Amino acid sequence: MKTRDITLHINEEKYNLTVDANQTLLQVLRSIGSTGTKYGCGTGECGACTVLVNGKTSILACLTLAALADGMHITTIMGLEKDGELHPVQQAFIDRHAIQCGFCTPGMVMKTISILEENPNPTEDQIRHELEGNMCRCTGYEKIVDAVQHARDMMKGETR
Amino acid sequence: MSELKIVGKSVPKVDAKIKVTGRAMYADDIHMPNALHGKIVRCMQYAHARVIKLDISRAQKMPGVVKILVPEDIEKYNTYNTGVMDLFAPDELNAVWGEIGEEPIFTKHVKHQGDALCGIIAKTEAEAEAAAEMVDVEYEPLPVYLTTEEASHPDAVQFTPEKPGNVAYRVPGGLFPEGFYGYGDIDKGFAESDLIYEEDYYVPKQKHCQMEPHSYIAQFDDQDRLNVWTSSQMPKPVQTKLHKLFGLPMSRIKVNQTVIGGGFGTRLGLIGEPYVCAMALAVPGRAIKLNYTREEDWVASETRHSGRFKLKMGFKKDGTPVVYDGYMSFEKGGYYTHGGVVWVSGILARGAYKFENFRFDGDAIFTNKVPCGAFRGYGNPQQALCMEQLIQRMCTDTGIDTIEWHKKWHREAGGDPWGFGVPTMNCGADEVLDRGVESFGWHEKKEINANQSGPKRRGTGMMLGVHCSAGFPVLLEHTVATVTLNEDATAIINCSISDLGCGNHTAITQIAAEALGFSMDDVFLNWGDSDANAFDIGAHASRTIWTAGRAVKEACEDAMKQVYAKAAKFLKVDPAELVMEDKKIFTKEAPDQIVDLKELLWKGIYAFMSPEDFQFKFDRGQIIGKASFMPFANNPGWYACFVEVEVDTETGELKVLECTYVNDIGQAINPAAVEGQLEGGIQQGLGFSLTEEMYYDENGLILNNSFTDYKMFGPTDMPKCDIQLVTTEEQYGPYGARGVGEAGLCAPGPAVGNAIFDAIGIQFNEAPFTPEKILKAIKGKGLFPDKRA
Amino acid sequence: MSTRVLPDFEILVPQSKEEALKLLSQYQGDAAILAGGTDLLVQMKGQLKCNCKGENAFGYLLSLAEVPGLDYVEYDETEGLRIGAMATLSQVAAHPVVKENYPGLLESVGVCGTKQTRNMGTVVGNLLNASPCADCGCAILAWGGTLTLEGTAGRREVDVDDFYLGYRLTARKTDELAVELKLPPKSDGTVSAHHKMTRVEHDLSKITVSVRLEMSGTTCKSARIAMASVAPTIVRLKETEKLLAGVEITDQILESVAKSASSEVTPIDDVRSTAEYRRDVAGVMVKRIIQKVCKS
Repeated sequence: MKTRDITLHINEEKYNLTVDANQTLLQVLRSIGSTGTKYGCGTGECGACTVLVNGKTSILACLTLAALADGMHITTIMGLEKDGELHPVQQAFIDRHAIQCGFCTPGMVMKTISILEENPNPTEDQIRHELEGNMCRCTGYEKIVDAVQHARDMMKGETR
Repeated sequence: MSELKIVGKSVPKVDAKIKVTGRAMYADDIHMPNALHGKIVRCMQYAHARVIKLDISRAQKMPGVVKILVPEDIEKYNTYNTGVMDLFAPDELNAVWGEIGEEPIFTKHVKHQGDALCGIIAKTEAEAEAAAEMVDVEYEPLPVYLTTEEASHPDAVQFTPEKPGNVAYRVPGGLFPEGFYGYGDIDKGFAESDLIYEEDYYVPKQKHCQMEPHSYIAQFDDQDRLNVWTSSQMPKPVQTKLHKLFGLPMSRIKVNQTVIGGGFGTRLGLIGEPYVCAMALAVPGRAIKLNYTREEDWVASETRHSGRFKLKMGFKKDGTPVVYDGYMSFEKGGYYTHGGVVWVSGILARGAYKFENFRFDGDAIFTNKVPCGAFRGYGNPQQALCMEQLIQRMCTDTGIDTIEWHKKWHREAGGDPWGFGVPTMNCGADEVLDRGVESFGWHEKKEINANQSGPKRRGTGMMLGVHCSAGFPVLLEHTVATVTLNEDATAIINCSISDLGCGNHTAITQIAAEALGFSMDDVFLNWGDSDANAFDIGAHASRTIWTAGRAVKEACEDAMKQVYAKAAKFLKVDPAELVMEDKKIFTKEAPDQIVDLKELLWKGIYAFMSPEDFQFKFDRGQIIGKASFMPFANNPGWYACFVEVEVDTETGELKVLECTYVNDIGQAINPAAVEGQLEGGIQQGLGFSLTEEMYYDENGLILNNSFTDYKMFGPTDMPKCDIQLVTTEEQYGPYGARGVGEAGLCAPGPAVGNAIFDAIGIQFNEAPFTPEKILKAIKGKGLFPDKRA
Repeated sequence: MSTRVLPDFEILVPQSKEEALKLLSQYQGDAAILAGGTDLLVQMKGQLKCNCKGENAFGYLLSLAEVPGLDYVEYDETEGLRIGAMATLSQVAAHPVVKENYPGLLESVGVCGTKQTRNMGTVVGNLLNASPCADCGCAILAWGGTLTLEGTAGRREVDVDDFYLGYRLTARKTDELAVELKLPPKSDGTVSAHHKMTRVEHDLSKITVSVRLEMSGTTCKSARIAMASVAPTIVRLKETEKLLAGVEITDQILESVAKSASSEVTPIDDVRSTAEYRRDVAGVMVKRIIQKVCKS
């Protein structure tokens, strides 16, 4: 088939869409206004298009065919804020000055959530290893690694 | 100076929330109704060729195609160069080095892989891409010149008749009384030297790799205005360059600067703007979106200047620096872009040490590679990588303590003009070195590493450097800022300041709030609007805080002067006696006689006569402060970098273990933001010396035009960074701040080179220092070859 | 030039294995099989010409996403580890028996791509992609195992040793689907490890080594050594393996093993490294990884 009718749940909103076979999830997300998810390379290297499946598994929207995402529950950067309250990971990125140009930030934040979902207590080394695949050219990663540790502590109810 | 309330605090960035929520609008996030899509057809199979035939007939029949622009369609426009030297340097100087603008929007002479041939306008991005594949081109291949030697051969094909011998740029030595850039007597210097060191270096072609690919929108609207949305780091010069290119009056060109997804120099001047604007002018009324692929970023936007550097230095036995003689020959790439990078290399080399005699010469030769342009550091990383390694060689040979040598011979404050030809007012080099030695544990590490065995060897290395705070006096420095005081005692700053992510918008807001005596929340900076914003150069040369920061500060002071004048008249006191606290204005002598700022501003706008005495309470009129600021000083920041590496002598692999970086920034406006940009600079500087280089095959086609094969340091590769900010007195910069934007990148390279030298006793003259080169050298020479001999 | 938009194709989304096999026999070489997509879609964006079929053009993409029952990772003591065609790298890494018994495989999965691509990409897909620098492919070749291929004509098992025929060429026929990978259980003395050398941490392999040794005390009964990025396919170093069969591991043996490994590989220059360097470090890597597994 050249097109497919799919149902997508994006940030808990349901979308009935007809998508082209060759459309990526990234193109579809961006076409319906979810522009927080970025195109950085299109080839799965930079991680700027990272979104979550079922609230925890990080995937690359640029290498996911929308036609095969039928029924998926996708969380994007634009679905994290709840009732005007930022997600602790978002707050940690602000507090620890982990944001410069901001283009990698949506992917970094989504990736961080998936890291902490899988392991709520990662060490700094584990965080660094897990962050591979999300590129940043502004920060040297120092303040991002710091923010992830801060988010880890906040989410455990501890703050350093 | 009274105590600072907002400046010097690591307040959260003003744009942090829009970025962390994904709501920041980068150019590609803007959706215009009914927009068309552009696609540039590029020559991908040749690096040097003439277009014999361009056949668009098949492409025109493709679905969705609206129009295809070919070279003939843009002949009515001027040619251009992507750089800004035509605006930032005086005409007389530009004439000396032969500033040219030879680049056409679409070419028939392909000068590098990725050169633009024609442009598709179609209804969708997919249709534009599909049609681009259907353009048929016949080429006459030309010889490919990948090195300066090949391109400057007398028989070589000429890139442009304006530049005989393919010499795009030559350092304008003839301008100076000695006949060269520098001072003293070079031959005499070498004759008087006890020790002479020389080396022929290669510095690599590094790519910016900003995370946001280039994206643009343009629309020629029904008022005959060309509107363009771009993430340029120089929106006002872009407006001027478009005016020159298309011949439109500046009142009919509006540049909307979007949020910038990283710049580092790649967005200095023009990139995709000429194409998207030409397309917009071809379909009046319709918005055009032009998105680059990541690959296009590599093949069609500029890189750092690469090339060779012949460096020769003479010293006395005691280390006295007698003579410096350098010739840098950069590969220019296919187009002129902008001229000065090679000279700036020399300017910054001259700025560092008290050589008794100094000469710097150099050129940039056209080659069939992607054109070189601006990249954070602008020539400084290249020269520092070489000079600091050669100095270390001398220190190691003579046993002179390298820290002591640097302390003794760096330039100082006062009458000693540094590279830019103006005296500096201060110098924190000694403090920087002391702090670095202590924080890094330089002596302790030297002791620990003194006796090593086994395959893994550690080494430590350091460097000292200096980088400008702005372009003055070599380049134009100018920022205009206005401050409108609202009737509710809040302020709008209008200034075309670019924030590449480093936090300029935050720092400027801090400066404005401090100068006005307002809270951060009461001040908003309106940027990126070329109608509302008057002239500013943009972000480059570590200049934004130095020049724009002072412009905004002075505009705020101008506004407050007007406030005090009104209040003084009302209170019948001398305005010089007035102070303001919590927006209440009074004199110290009579603190109960208060003018409320909000009332003063409100009644300046909503001004009515009193029915009692038919008088106005305050002078009428809204207060707008203004500054058109052009600095008359350029105090550089000094920085030192210390690294420890571990070399695996059996595989040549290298790990950077630690990096301490110290900068005498003066007063940091926002220390956390400064640390962040320095850490980012370190990541780029480590890449410059260790992993980053664009590779070409023998036909001039790029081998690593993706993140898969162009490798940068990731989170695991990064060493722990220790950033130390030394606060030294700064008399000129706003609130005592100096520029710091580029220094982070310039530092790690030479420190890494020197650490490798310390670990294995071998120096490398070609960066990046890859495991392949390291292992080959170890196999060929053995560890510490000089000591064994 | 690469594209931002994927070229045109039709997508086939079979709902059962039988349907998938039928479609595959119908379209054969004109259909590419899509599992995780982390290699295939990148190749399509980079190489395919829009609408005009170039060398790698496919008219159809046959997705296994909705074929039930292919995403398993199972273990029993006789058959060993069974990995279904749609089991992701993350799934395999998370399996307790993989963590316990297959350390070489575990390490290879951990350095294959990034967290996101491990959540998407499959282990079987990594084998099928037939890259000469494959990460888990290399560990699997060192371990040994069989790949089950199924077509409308029936089912067959291919030893991983016989699977790679040349550069990007495998024993899979165009109408066959690789449905399962089987890795035999370990024995008492089995040790395994994997080491990937890269330019920076996250990277394709510059050169990779995987070993599986059957040890009895300090004596090696038999060895399997596989390397990636040293030949047109991932390869075993069979001559070097012979040097280890039935000998006590000593520094002297390791020196000759290292020498043998360096002479047995046939690397090339490419953008990631040089042939000379790869040859030089191949021996060091083999020596070091054997030292490492013998220590553990």
